[in-house]
Amino acid sequence: MDTKWNGTEPENGGETEYFVAAQVRETMEPEAEGEAEAAPNRRAQAAKAAIGFLAFVIGVSLTLGSLGAMAERLVMQRGALPDWSGDWQDTQEFRDEVSTYLLEFLSLGASGTTGNAWYNTAADTGGWRQQYTEVVVSGTLEEIHPAEAATDAEDAEPADAYRAGDKNVLYLIMKDGRIRYKNITENSPRQFQNRSFEGYNFYLIYEDGKASIFKDGAELNVYGDGVYVSGQSPWFVPGYENLQAGDWLDGVTVYMAVREEPVRYWFQGSGGEQYSYGRMYNLAQWAREARTFYLRQFVLLGLGALWLCVWLAFRREKKLADAKIAAWTGHIWTEVWVLLALIPLGWLFVTRGWGELYWACREMWWSYESLPLRQLAYGLLSFVLSGFPALLALGWVLWLAWNNRRYNPRERRRSLLGPLFRRLKKLLRELRMKDLERPVEKRLNRDNGLVLALLLLGFTCSLFAAAVALELMMRRYWSVGEWLLLLAGCVVEGALILSIVRTFRHRRLPQDLGRLHRQIESIRAGDLSKPLDLPEDADLRKTAEALNDIQSGMKSALEEQTRSERMKVELISNVSHDLKTPLTSILSYAELLRQEELPPAAADYARIIGEKARRLGTMVQDVFEVSKAAADQLPVTIERLDLAKLLRQTLADQDDSIQKSGLTFKVDLPPEPVMIDADGRRLYRVFQNLLDNALRYALPGSRVYLTLKAAEGQAETSVRNTSRDELPEGVDFTARFVRGDGSRTDGGSGLGLSIVSSFTEACGGAFRVETVADLFTAVVTFPLAETEQEAE
Amino acid sequence: MKECILVVDDDPEIVNAIAITLEREGYRVLRAYNGMEALDLCLNPEVRLMIIDVMMPRLDGLSALIRVRERRNLPVIVLSAKSEDTDKILGLSMGADDYVTKPYNPQELVARVRSQLRRYTMLGDIHTARREGLLVNGRLTYDTSERVLRADGDVVKLTATETKIVDLLFRNLGRVFPAEELYRRVWNEEGYACENTVMVHIRRIREKVELNPKEPDYIKVVWGIGYKMERHGA
Repeated sequence: MDTKWNGTEPENGGETEYFVAAQVRETMEPEAEGEAEAAPNRRAQAAKAAIGFLAFVIGVSLTLGSLGAMAERLVMQRGALPDWSGDWQDTQEFRDEVSTYLLEFLSLGASGTTGNAWYNTAADTGGWRQQYTEVVVSGTLEEIHPAEAATDAEDAEPADAYRAGDKNVLYLIMKDGRIRYKNITENSPRQFQNRSFEGYNFYLIYEDGKASIFKDGAELNVYGDGVYVSGQSPWFVPGYENLQAGDWLDGVTVYMAVREEPVRYWFQGSGGEQYSYGRMYNLAQWAREARTFYLRQFVLLGLGALWLCVWLAFRREKKLADAKIAAWTGHIWTEVWVLLALIPLGWLFVTRGWGELYWACREMWWSYESLPLRQLAYGLLSFVLSGFPALLALGWVLWLAWNNRRYNPRERRRSLLGPLFRRLKKLLRELRMKDLERPVEKRLNRDNGLVLALLLLGFTCSLFAAAVALELMMRRYWSVGEWLLLLAGCVVEGALILSIVRTFRHRRLPQDLGRLHRQIESIRAGDLSKPLDLPEDADLRKTAEALNDIQSGMKSALEEQTRSERMKVELISNVSHDLKTPLTSILSYAELLRQEELPPAAADYARIIGEKARRLGTMVQDVFEVSKAAADQLPVTIERLDLAKLLRQTLADQDDSIQKSGLTFKVDLPPEPVMIDADGRRLYRVFQNLLDNALRYALPGSRVYLTLKAAEGQAETSVRNTSRDELPEGVDFTARFVRGDGSRTDGGSGLGLSIVSSFTEACGGAFRVETVADLFTAVVTFPLAETEQEAE
Repeated sequence: MKECILVVDDDPEIVNAIAITLEREGYRVLRAYNGMEALDLCLNPEVRLMIIDVMMPRLDGLSALIRVRERRNLPVIVLSAKSEDTDKILGLSMGADDYVTKPYNPQELVARVRSQLRRYTMLGDIHTARREGLLVNGRLTYDTSERVLRADGDVVKLTATETKIVDLLFRNLGRVFPAEELYRRVWNEEGYACENTVMVHIRRIREKVELNPKEPDYIKVVWGIGYKMERHGA
């Protein structure tokens, strides 16, 4: 155990974020504690992972669910938040309800029926108009409560007793001092005036075209500054400056009271069934219910947040669970994923969310009013929100799919249609590759034509659509929405026209591109003669000019290079000539001197001068040839020859020096001809130099191996010898004036291998030197000439 | 008593060295230091041979050579520092009889001078004495009936094998013989690993025939193919 505690262990415990399953698995590995504690550790890890994952699921679901439910309610209930003071009478709904009641009562008082009622308004035009409000009452009143209407109101027609049974609202309607309708026992408005009904705290008295409202004994300010603004003024009751009761309401007086805590009334239906009816009761109930709803949602939200905190605490361990789940979901086909995602989507589309959207569209189509932008937006929002649970389910399916993608590599995922898709993709790519073989301008021309045709077609269609839309919109009252729509239409049409013009203008581009392409191809092929001339106004003019610059630059560089090569060769031959001329004199006079009668010492000196001058001559000649070869100016006569024979001839030619050297030559040449294409005389120099090199530098008495092998289209000749001196490492033996010993005191010019290298390359072969310890190997390779049979 | 030789070079030291060498051999020497001087001097009827450098002031050697050829039939040896094949071919095609590169070997130069003079004086004899079976190739003649090889008119002493080789090569001027074929036709047996044997004989013949055996003019190795006798003009 103790041995496990070494210096590297603590590093394993370092803070590291784990992102992939493989790494996560490491956290499951027991730490340095040992095998005994591994199992509980692992179990604890697994528990943490489960908790983390559970917390994640529950937290996200609760949070999003409660938020979504609240948002849905807010949108579906048209933005009404509950009144947190708990007073249901202090809501806009209540005020609207009271306003509606009043309108109905007025209508009853004036005409004896509920139906279309109106006030005179001076809305936008400044003139008086009649604002209609459709009051819909379902069923006849007898059905609601026939008995009470008949008994309680003497003067009232029994059939007209309106909602008399719903005692949450008490009323008394008078016209010209006579009671027309009531649902109280007393025949006077006294109790209304005294506001003395037990349990009723809200009173409205409408008299002489004005309404006064009392709540909990105090009078409310009904009219504010006296101007009615739709959507802002709390009470929709006559008496504003711009909202007056019409003449038809002259003499109508309405008293009404609303119970503080509405109660449920049960009614007997015509079929004997019981049902509850009562708008005020429902309203109060709704207010109460809304409060509890929001409270509940907040509690859920809090719980969700709590769970999310748990998830945050265990988020690293949760990845274990993610990986595990991915391992399970890995077996699911991609198609099943799609189906799984489609189920909640279908649910979303089937739920009632369509309604609002439908009505918004219908409104937009038929209405002569301005575009219902708000309604549309609301419709869309309600569409989305009404299917919120479906959205949540969809979210979880998508999360699972994403999790699956994250942990399972592409090749591990399964799919039924996958191979089909892959084949289709391959086919498309092949088609594309085939298409690419065509000249670039043809391809672009075709594409451009297609685009132009589509654009023209689209433009025509859009013109028709615009005409129809304009015709429809002309009937409307124009406001922001209409102008916006017009602007959008103009932008779209403008973009279409611009695209068409652009595409048309660029029809010459493919041709230019094609020419550019061909020009580049011809430059690559080495033709630098003619520049590319595009019209002045061509898009690619600048590009063509740049290409021409490159071309002329290349051309001048090439000319410069050629000239400098020629000058170099001239220089070499001049230098060689200038060196040889004095050398000739030296040699000549050394020879003459040698022929004179001289003291022995002087004769010796003359001999040395002669010898060294001759060597100098050889070196000058060598330098000259190597330089020419380096400048690629070495003339070669390539002919087909037998390399094996050439090697035999060379050996025979050098036989004298080989015999004298005391070295043993191990020659391995194939008996059959090895045909290559090369310059025989240059190649003779190559092998002469190599043999000379071996003779000069080989360890005395050692063996020199000369082998020729023809295989795989290559003829490889190698000369191998053991060096007399230690071979320095990292020396390029083929460089000029490089010698193995570096002291330059031996007989070599230092150019031998350089000549070998440059002559071999001039003949189309390759030369390399390999040194291993004292073993020196020179390798000359040539491609084998194609035989007659192969050539045919 | 001996022939007069015109030596032309812009370097007086070289002219002097050549002159000394030739005078030791008994020739008389006229000296010129550029092409124009050479043109003047070559009209001297005593001049029997000209050695001329290529790169000279006023008139270069090759131009001078052409002008000399217009006036006289004179053997000319070009002596140049330009050592490439192309230069040699150019010089010979301009009418030079021989081409020697600098730095030259004095003995070789003397030998070439002698050879040219011999051929020049013998030329008439060869043509008048032309008869059946006499083959001429440059400075070599071979009598097929007598099987005698002459270089510059002197009989070259050859062994029987060497004579057979020369016979074969002389009858097929310019043709390349692989060592095996040569061996088969000369020794009358199949040749295996005969390269050394053939090469030894070739080298010996060269030493007897060539002016510079290291750079042979007549009996040549065609590397990687075989051996041949180079065809030369008359």
